[in-house]
Amino acid sequence: MRKETKIFLLLSGVAFLSFKSITGPELFSVPTNFPRPTYHFDSNPLSRAGVELGKTLFYDSIISSDNTVSCGSCHQQSAGFTQHGHVLSHGVNDQLTKRNSMPLFNLAWSGSFGWDGGVHDLDFFAVSPITNPVEMNESLANVLEKLRSSPQYPALFKSAFGTEEINTERFLKALSQFMLTMVSANSRYDHYMRYEGIEFTKTELEGMELFKKKCASCHSGELFTDFSFRNNGLTHLTENDFGQFEVNQNENDKFKFKVPSLRNLSYTAPYMHDGRFTTLEEVLEHYDSKVEKTDFLDKALNKDGRLGIALTPDEKQKIMVFLKTLDDEDFVKNPIFSEGSLLNPILAKNINDDLMNFKITDKTQRELLNQCVESYLKIKSAIQANKSKVAGNEAKKLMKVLAKMNIQEVSQKEFFRKYQDKLFFDAEHIFEGEQSTDHQLDHFKDLSDHLYILIASFKAYEQTLYFNQCQESAMDWLSDIPTDLFVVKNCKEIQTKILTK
Amino acid sequence: MKKIIFILLCAVSLANAQKTGSISIHFDHVIGNEPLVLNDKKYKNADGDEFKVSLFQYFISNIRLIRKDGSTYVMPQDQSYFLIRESNKGSKTITLANIPKGKFTAISFLIGIDSARNASEIGQRKGCLDVAGEAKDMYWAWNSGYIFVKMEGTSIQSTAKNNIFMYHIGLFGGIGNKKTLNNIRYATIDFGGETLRVKDNKFVPVITIKTDASRLLNGDTNVEIAKNPTVMGGPFSAKIAENYKTMFSFAGLDKLTTDIDKNRKALGMN
Ligand code: HEC
Ligand code: HEC
Repeated sequence: MRKETKIFLLLSGVAFLSFKSITGPELFSVPTNFPRPTYHFDSNPLSRAGVELGKTLFYDSIISSDNTVSCGSCHQQSAGFTQHGHVLSHGVNDQLTKRNSMPLFNLAWSGSFGWDGGVHDLDFFAVSPITNPVEMNESLANVLEKLRSSPQYPALFKSAFGTEEINTERFLKALSQFMLTMVSANSRYDHYMRYEGIEFTKTELEGMELFKKKCASCHSGELFTDFSFRNNGLTHLTENDFGQFEVNQNENDKFKFKVPSLRNLSYTAPYMHDGRFTTLEEVLEHYDSKVEKTDFLDKALNKDGRLGIALTPDEKQKIMVFLKTLDDEDFVKNPIFSEGSLLNPILAKNINDDLMNFKITDKTQRELLNQCVESYLKIKSAIQANKSKVAGNEAKKLMKVLAKMNIQEVSQKEFFRKYQDKLFFDAEHIFEGEQSTDHQLDHFKDLSDHLYILIASFKAYEQTLYFNQCQESAMDWLSDIPTDLFVVKNCKEIQTKILTK
Repeated sequence: MKKIIFILLCAVSLANAQKTGSISIHFDHVIGNEPLVLNDKKYKNADGDEFKVSLFQYFISNIRLIRKDGSTYVMPQDQSYFLIRESNKGSKTITLANIPKGKFTAISFLIGIDSARNASEIGQRKGCLDVAGEAKDMYWAWNSGYIFVKMEGTSIQSTAKNNIFMYHIGLFGGIGNKKTLNNIRYATIDFGGETLRVKDNKFVPVITIKTDASRLLNGDTNVEIAKNPTVMGGPFSAKIAENYKTMFSFAGLDKLTTDIDKNRKALGMN
């Protein structure tokens, strides 16, 4: 009897120790109000260098076929690691994904990944966006080849794994290491639950009670999901996306999607697998009155002869107040997860490699291109002044000018069209993002780069222009004055190239 | 405790004393009675559809050798994964080493990849299981799992774009929350009264196994290419797996060859 207990103690001691030692508290620790994570840390122990490598890979567009898209393009920190203001995400050549990008946090507790749960282990997830023609359209073998011949990566792999070898396992494990460190557990709710000196207001408490009664059967526990797949009655779902059925072909699982966490909702809009709702009001309205009765609908949403979840306006208000307590500002602002915190900044592709030596002969086209520059400068001042609406309007004008442009010379036509399309796309997003300067900024660097490439390739400037680049803040912009600071923060060095007539 | 140590020592000394040898297996790909020739040759299935094959490849794994008395030698799992491709001559002859000396009358293996390895961590997926390397066209990334058997080609009867057909058969039963079809099948191939003698490494016998790719299309379910030009994850995949589980048959045992390199040369390898 005593022997048995001893052995048991010994065994559990070993298990405990191994768990502790592999995950140094600085890199990953389990918040006291959370359950035990499910990720297999024993076969991929986190190390400082491993996480650093993972972070570099996450933000490096070298892993997409045209070197323009990184994991970080669709998973942005300020948006809870989903994509700002995009219903569906866009990848290379600006093609749209079928689904809304997912927020990334607390992944160590998840046992299946993707809206349909098609991937069982976080380590394997990255294969899917990289090889998906719509997302990054690259073969993983090719990515590894690019990494091997880069001046930067062999050394990073060496510090993370002991040798310079770059292989599938190391690549995927490093990405996981970084993603595993993204723990979001510092919301008001967490502080309240951990008795860290935060009291809930009366409304917040009432909201929490209502939430527990009405929502927590699916959005359960500290992670606010029971990790199951269900149909929550969204209307008009089509064969375009069958959800879990796509991976298991089980008729009973048609139109079932992962129950998502409800943390950080203030940053992660739009909502649902297809991004159909932009506000939480719409979400609650859906549960209260818009739930569609189908064969697939979860039973919890069709109880006692009532479809959906009855919610009075007052109850909706209180639930919203409670949901706000799940916002973790610390997480979305923590510099440790940002590209800016990389010890070795990602070697940027030299934009000048894309320049051509062309000339616009047609006078009208030349004028139109200069009108684009004027529009651009107006957009820039508006964004700088936080006037997102004005910036949106100017972007609309830019789109109109772009639509009129047309280059005839055969050798230059295709090049021009390519950047014309890109600029149109950037402008469109600044126009559509007229609600949020943040979203506009997401597209502003691309807008600047593409315009610079056109202007510099065709040497079409009537006035002196300056092209400014700041590595630390990953921002590029054009200006008509020499030392223009634009919106860049913490910039140690701005590189400026002068374009003179 | 003492007893355990004793047994352990015995096991070790036994293994040391036991001599081992190697064998080769050569896979000969055919369509019915004709050799499989990629792209150029036209064939007919049981349904009467005409077709050409552009790609044919499959995994075998978890190999076992069966003795006359019915006892079995199970190969160490890590060394028992093979990806056989029609387009890669070298892959069609595999060598199994460290087989205990003895007489064997049959072989069995799994067609595809077992569920444990389909669910295993990335660190256990080396060589032909590397999802970014050798296995990159035999792995579904969005629905994580290996493709077991893959055949592609064209057929006038196909209703798909460019008259292509594609049969990508995988699915291992799923993990945790995700339950899927289980298309794992086994094959047992009897050497038809002949005996495979494993002696040592100098004398390497070669078993030739015929793989009849037409069995994907013909069998309990005769596949009409017009109706099912592409089969991947759907329920019909189980019918194809049920068909192809009979695609392997014994085609001969070569006893004369004396080393692996010569074997390969004799078979036109290298
Ligand atoms: C083009 C946009 C895009 C890019 C680029 C992208 N993702 Fe995603 N990500 C998505 C979308 C969309 C989903 C939801 C996918 C689904 O359900 O099919 C997703 C889901 C995920 C998930 C699952 C989260 C969960 O909780 O289930 C992980 C993990 C992830 N992405 C990591 C990555 C990594 C790592 C990279 C870079 C290698 C990357 N993503 C690149 C759009 C993108
Ligand atoms: C029957 C289970 C169930 C119940 C009960 C439920 N939900 Fe959901 N919820 C889901 C599922 C499943 C999804 C994902 C649906 C999809 O995208 O197709 C979801 C999605 C959401 C989303 C979108 C999150 C995102 O990141 O896109 C919000 C917000 C949400 N639910 C809030 C609530 C609230 C508030 C309640 C209570 C009033 C509630 N849910 C009750 C199952 C449920």
